[in-house]
Amino acid sequence: MKYLVTDDSRLARRVLVKSLLTLTKEENIFQATNGLEAIQVMLKERPDIVFLDLTMPEMDGYTALPKFFKIKPDVKVVVVSADVQEQAKERVLALGASLHVNKPINEQKLKEILESL
Amino acid sequence: MSTDILSEDEKDVLQELMNIAYGSATAVIAQMLDAFASLSIPNIQVMQVATLLKTFQELKSTSYFFASQAFHGEFDGESAFFINEESAKNLALHLELENRSDLDDAILELTNVLTSSLTSRLAQEMQTEVGFSLPNISKVPLNKINDVASFQIYSKVIVIDTDLNFKDQKINGKIFILTKDESIQWLKTKLNIILEELI
Repeated sequence: MKYLVTDDSRLARRVLVKSLLTLTKEENIFQATNGLEAIQVMLKERPDIVFLDLTMPEMDGYTALPKFFKIKPDVKVVVVSADVQEQAKERVLALGASLHVNKPINEQKLKEILESL
Repeated sequence: MSTDILSEDEKDVLQELMNIAYGSATAVIAQMLDAFASLSIPNIQVMQVATLLKTFQELKSTSYFFASQAFHGEFDGESAFFINEESAKNLALHLELENRSDLDDAILELTNVLTSSLTSRLAQEMQTEVGFSLPNISKVPLNKINDVASFQIYSKVIVIDTDLNFKDQKINGKIFILTKDESIQWLKTKLNIILEELI
């Protein structure tokens, strides 16, 4: 299984990658700092699960999300955001995300997310 | 209905909405930093920007990291987060950060999470939608805060300020939520609708 963690914050990526490593023991965990970088990683590595922040420079999560499915239609995308608005959730789900979860994600929450996918 | 100040009733409603939003944000921040956090009861004031800048300058420490993030929509404005050098050092220690760049990144993420969780929860309570710009960070001497370009677009602002404290880690910061001139009337109308529903 391959994972991609996309967030412009190193801290946010570090926390999520650490939990992923602990839970999955998986070494194929890639990182991207914005939507454009994420698309490059998608093309090269074709991850199975993508964790995606919304507010990022260069290309935000809303713009990147539909492009992921053109590259890999069966990719699972988990949007991770501090935006608790229902509209944000509805919008990303309509764009094809599997889940919209609020930051931060601890190990227990991540375990539940992975089990639900 | 006056267009330039909030009545006591309007302030009470906004205070209540902010309490809900701050409760939610406190939980998010505490979980993010894995530490017990508290946010003081928000203080709501309407003031001229010149007065606000004076307030910034009167913060006790002389050297602050200052991060800001704009939000857009019917509720339109900006959050400003100040953290002094000592607290920033303690934040770096707590998160085991290795360099200044990592510290900037952590302060930006803290600002982003605080702004997004606070403002989006507040927007939800007011049945509107907000979008967010990227946060910015700068380290400015407080006597130069007047030069921060983003504050020059405001004349009169609703200021909601609160203190964020991590007592055990000796980290504290100050957050201001500023509402743009053109949003003040919208906000007053919205607060009155909510008020009418409550009474």
